[in-house]
Amino acid sequence: MQIISTDVVVVGGGAAGCYAALELSRKNIESVIVCKGLVGKSGASLFAGNLVIGGGLLGNTPEQGSNTAEFLIKYHNQFLIDQNWAKRCGQWIENVYYPELEEAGLYFRRDDDGNVVTNPGKIRSVAANTQGNSGVPFMDLRRKQVMKAGIRRLEETSVTSLLRRPDGSVCGVFTVNCMTGEYAVVLGRAVILATGYSDRMHMRSTGTREMSGDGIAMAWRAGASLVNLEMQWWHTNDVAHPPTWQRIQIYPNPVLGSEHSARMVNSYGEEFFNQQIDDPMAFGPYTVQLKALVKQVRAGKARYDGGYFAGFDHVDPKEIDTYTTYGKPFYQLGRDPREGPIETAVTAHYRQGGILVDTTNMRSSVPGLYVAGGVSGHSNGLIALVTFDGKTVADGIAADIDHLLPGTLPEDQVESERRRIESMLATPGDGFAPVAVKELIRRIMWEKVGIEKNLAGLTSALEDLDQLRTLVLPNMKIKNRTRVANYEWLDVIDVHNMIDAAELIVHSSIERRESRGPFMRTDFPDTDNENWLAANIMVKTDNGFRFEQSPYELPFFQPGFVRRDNMTVPW
Amino acid sequence: MNVQVDARSIGKAENFDGLLARNTRLNPGDPVRIRVRRFDADRPDQSGFESFVVPYDASMRVLDALNYIAEHFATDLAYRWLCGSKMCGTCAIRMNGREVLACWESVEPDMTIEPLRNLPVIRDLVVDRAPYEARVAKFEPWLERSTDYAGFPEPLSHKDMKNASKALDCISCMSCFSACPVVGLGNLTDFAGPAPLVQLAQTALDVRNDPAKVASALEHAGIFNCVSCYKCEEVCPAKIPIVTRIIEPLKAKTAELVPHAARHSMVFRAIVASRGRIDPSELVLRVQGAKVLLQVGRALRLLLRGKINPLKTLFGKNRGAADAASRILDQ
Repeated sequence: MQIISTDVVVVGGGAAGCYAALELSRKNIESVIVCKGLVGKSGASLFAGNLVIGGGLLGNTPEQGSNTAEFLIKYHNQFLIDQNWAKRCGQWIENVYYPELEEAGLYFRRDDDGNVVTNPGKIRSVAANTQGNSGVPFMDLRRKQVMKAGIRRLEETSVTSLLRRPDGSVCGVFTVNCMTGEYAVVLGRAVILATGYSDRMHMRSTGTREMSGDGIAMAWRAGASLVNLEMQWWHTNDVAHPPTWQRIQIYPNPVLGSEHSARMVNSYGEEFFNQQIDDPMAFGPYTVQLKALVKQVRAGKARYDGGYFAGFDHVDPKEIDTYTTYGKPFYQLGRDPREGPIETAVTAHYRQGGILVDTTNMRSSVPGLYVAGGVSGHSNGLIALVTFDGKTVADGIAADIDHLLPGTLPEDQVESERRRIESMLATPGDGFAPVAVKELIRRIMWEKVGIEKNLAGLTSALEDLDQLRTLVLPNMKIKNRTRVANYEWLDVIDVHNMIDAAELIVHSSIERRESRGPFMRTDFPDTDNENWLAANIMVKTDNGFRFEQSPYELPFFQPGFVRRDNMTVPW
Repeated sequence: MNVQVDARSIGKAENFDGLLARNTRLNPGDPVRIRVRRFDADRPDQSGFESFVVPYDASMRVLDALNYIAEHFATDLAYRWLCGSKMCGTCAIRMNGREVLACWESVEPDMTIEPLRNLPVIRDLVVDRAPYEARVAKFEPWLERSTDYAGFPEPLSHKDMKNASKALDCISCMSCFSACPVVGLGNLTDFAGPAPLVQLAQTALDVRNDPAKVASALEHAGIFNCVSCYKCEEVCPAKIPIVTRIIEPLKAKTAELVPHAARHSMVFRAIVASRGRIDPSELVLRVQGAKVLLQVGRALRLLLRGKINPLKTLFGKNRGAADAASRILDQ
């Protein structure tokens, strides 16, 4: 077994992990990136459609600058965010982020006269090369910056557990290479978890194949506190068929260089959402669309898994083809967008909650364990925000580095983890295939922990998950015991993380006794700012867990009401 | 009239092979018959084709069919995919002899699925991307500015980035790398291959890049080995016009920045411009110079077989053809 020693182990190769490693490298702190997929190709960063232009950038008026902050705090996070952090982040994006990307070579789309192309409206955005595809050149650039900086990458390598010193602090990770089946230990003074959103927990999810809530499950096992896990975003108009395309969105957001955007139509052919008309902020934050859809579902005119449509049949196709990829599912089906919309369905998107962090340095509650990006619980996503996490965590570690000791090999832990993972390959069971168990978990989450939830359903989900854990998990069947590219083996490892993460999410959902934005409890339909404008913190204890609350300060934006039916709240 | 024809669309409308036709030839429940090439180095006896029948469902992609197989029949089928939406480029395979992205291509009633060519197979449909990665790394494909960055947003127009912008659509799926016949020749040429060249073009065709940096990358691109067969363009799921917008501009850049690497091509062009046709003897003489003396034996053999004609080389010129050729080439 290979033992690799470095200063910092970065788990995850998306926008947050890459930027953390690059910033560390600029500070002469060595790191190794361990990525379950391929650096720059796996996780959510690749899906960045466009890049939001905040502050005073590109001629934004003060009102547009303020709109961007309001949009982040209200519509993206429903006030469950440190507003002072948001301000710091906004300033950094304006002063550092955009120039850094462009200087490194990112192409912000221009027109033939040299103007950066934006969308009209109260909040504006730009594209890296093409709207809808910005994440591809963006992450390709990060991958190449990582290559240029000489940062070592362990790709298609799954981290299965965090290793700890006798005092409990984190000092490395145990890994398995998915292509060769070889184990390796990577030791460091600190570990940064940048594993992204805990996507792919639901039957329909925007998460990529490899995602399985690993970051949350491993952090919890190491004793880290979690926050707002119940806060989950949903896409309302992702393609319904085929299943593979559940991640392709018919974006309702403003189109670059156009006054139009997608419209949504119910099963009766009635338009129920048109960005330009129905969204007061002119930047379809997903909650606004979701609430519009919930009303349709309650009226029997749409289902969460289909029966409604989205498209551009009211727009000249040239407008969407000039700067965007939004026409791509239509064209690939051999259809003209003008012929009509295509069937869409709801898809679980980013999770706002995650691991509890100190936003000044991205420390978790466990010494040596730092967090960056979607897996942290301090804000919902935008590729700029997770990049800021990469910067903050690098600064935080640089400040702590003198007190962080080199990683030492915890031989007992390594041996027991090796045995645990090896036994998963040797599983003698004759029950379900692991890939089928993944689908079972996703089905439970979809049916009982979906958009509209209540105590009875959530309790029943816990019972179902418990049954899976005791009866199905020990008896999974692996058909082929090869160590080479054995995705079944990987699935067994994933299933154990998924079920842990799923249970934690359900417990957190039971605890928040209100409805807030995309978190909808039919048994608590009101948004309750008196009792729940607070972080819902899950703390591990010797015999389980307890919940704590921590209220958010509201220095710049306030909700302006105490209690109101969530469906009547605009955000 | 000079009509732009998209290489991949030639013949498809006439043969009812348009995208709409491909997406509507099956109805839900219809059988999709699939033969998958399996490979396991540890179990050679189990390598070979395995057949499955999967029920068609609305708008089914090749990846949906593979997922169905992995969930219901061969849970140990190894195939790579991450995003399922034509962004990560990891699911490219060969379907009925042509390279497709599994997440993007509609299933066909009868499909033979194989791994990409020109890359080592790890297991089943999973290939080793390392040879491609090594070629890209050799280009050091990042921007190096010869002047200071002017601050955001810097002066730049889409006209400056027209070709680089096309290259930036690349999802490095390596469909073109598999389809390329020159890459298939292995080490017989030093051709980097279409996919690495598209990656190179992202910065080499970027006006902001330092020409010295571009020159050193083009030095070992082997770009003139491209035979312009358009196979790469035909299979590119990102619809990048690889030959016209990547390879040809890179050739022009090579001629400009690294003339010695373009010598053969430039001489070829000059001969055609002056003679109206190619003359093999002159081409060899001018490209090889004095070295040609070392190959007198071969020259004699070619002469005896009538493959070269010194008299024609010295005195034969077709004025009309030469005028026409130089007119076209000077355009």
